[in-house]
Amino acid sequence: MKPERLERRCPRLGGDVSFAYCCTCEADKRPCFKVLDCWWERFDVVTYMKARLSPEAFEKLSARRPPPNKVASLVDLIRQAQERTSTD
Amino acid sequence: MKPKSIILPKDEIPRKWYNILADIKMNPPLGPDGNPVSPDMLAPVFPMNLIEQEVSSERWIEIPDPVLDVLSIWRPAPLTRATAFEKALGTPAKIYYKNEGMSPPGSHKPNTAVPQAYYNKVFGIENITTETGAGQWGSALSFACSQYGLTCKVFMVRISFDQKPYRKSMMQAWGGKCIASPSNETKAGRDALAKDPNTPGSLGIAISEAVEAAVGDTSGKTRYSLGSVLNHVMLHQTIIGLEAKRQLEIAGEYPDIVIGCAGGGSNFAGLAFPFVLDKINGKAIDIYPVEPKACPSMTRAPFAYDHGDTAGYTPLLPMHSLGHNFVPAPIHAGGLRYHGMAPTVSQLINEGLISPKSVGQMESYKAGVLWARTEGFIPAPETNNALAQVVAEAEKAKQEGKEKTIVFTFSGHGLLDLGAYEKYFAGELSDFSLADADIEESTKILENYPKPENIKSV
Repeated sequence: MKPERLERRCPRLGGDVSFAYCCTCEADKRPCFKVLDCWWERFDVVTYMKARLSPEAFEKLSARRPPPNKVASLVDLIRQAQERTSTD
Repeated sequence: MKPKSIILPKDEIPRKWYNILADIKMNPPLGPDGNPVSPDMLAPVFPMNLIEQEVSSERWIEIPDPVLDVLSIWRPAPLTRATAFEKALGTPAKIYYKNEGMSPPGSHKPNTAVPQAYYNKVFGIENITTETGAGQWGSALSFACSQYGLTCKVFMVRISFDQKPYRKSMMQAWGGKCIASPSNETKAGRDALAKDPNTPGSLGIAISEAVEAAVGDTSGKTRYSLGSVLNHVMLHQTIIGLEAKRQLEIAGEYPDIVIGCAGGGSNFAGLAFPFVLDKINGKAIDIYPVEPKACPSMTRAPFAYDHGDTAGYTPLLPMHSLGHNFVPAPIHAGGLRYHGMAPTVSQLINEGLISPKSVGQMESYKAGVLWARTEGFIPAPETNNALAQVVAEAEKAKQEGKEKTIVFTFSGHGLLDLGAYEKYFAGELSDFSLADADIEESTKILENYPKPENIKSV
């Protein structure tokens, strides 16, 4: 089976998602920051992502991995929302 | 028939929450400039009465009557002795549990959703927004808002929205408006849809939409709500432990061990903090927050300032952390995947007042299934982590021949999460555990960050 069709339960959403979703679910169709964490047991996801991402994008992915803490990021989310609504 | 549960009379429901900030000293959260984050920075999303609770150091905070009126739909929650589970384990330990699965949405989450809705209401707020993944928090908040006549707008990630229509129906039944995210209601949503009209969405976009919907309402009548980690959330949950203490008193018991699963920390804090107060005052009691072995944020991580986000531009918070570039091994445990624990819980660990434990995924599901086959209730996946620690302590009591009293929180039922059980029964789950070398590697990034002062409160 192609990796894109594999499914697993997403720990962030609480439901099943395909690997294809994990590869494109973030802004600008970037992969989920947890994609390496979630899929390494099923197949060689590191090699897969290295082959499909630019070196810069892979470096960003591999350096940017943990689940975001909603509380600590709240202040920043407010700032971002204020910027969006002031220019909308 | 011998009664299993201790039912607290309605007129004995706790009238005050316990605020642990009165009894411990905390390192403040730091902003990007290295200065402490001030409470008013949260004013665009929370009403001031909740922000006051967030920073209050008053030990006891009165629970308003209109909040008690709603909580009394299912509270006081029963404290039940798990006699069949004890028998199956062959343990001399006495095992009691607070059943938080009895609430209308089936978890502990409405313990804070209800007061949050109330305080918004009296502050003059008419609308509350939030985001939800699987829909549990969205359901709890919809229920709470319906009780006070507030509108509740829940941004639910599109892929979950499509997969779980019954979650939307739950929210609708309580009057909540569940919107698939990205939506056309916010700039964040419109931007995402412009890039891809068929996008399945993400949690990041849903959070951005919920915050924007609150911040962008120029009438000032809309705020945002969060169901975990913050101090006022922990405060509201202490009704669990305060009830339990009274119920144990009626039973003529005092626990040797208190156990709760800990993700963001709120259900653990709810049961444990009132017992932490006793421990501060000299009681001999062991208090265990439990986390998955494969993703330890408490059991093997250093106490340090760390960013809450991955990019590293959000405030530095003192917490037990594996470093913001940590990659945990995969595990099915619902909400138990934060890399940083609630700051108050981290502080109690640092002071040695509570002792974190970790459990394997397989032993958790094994304990959960034994529970279902003895005590009847099917536990939520994260509740199984607490149950696995209960089993470990019960077996230890058996080996030692000691009649220990154990109390834990049954944080919620698993009836809306049976897919995880299906995978367990199909043999599709397995255990992973970090080697010490992995831990050392992942925490190297924290070496250059400021170290929180090692404050001792007692």
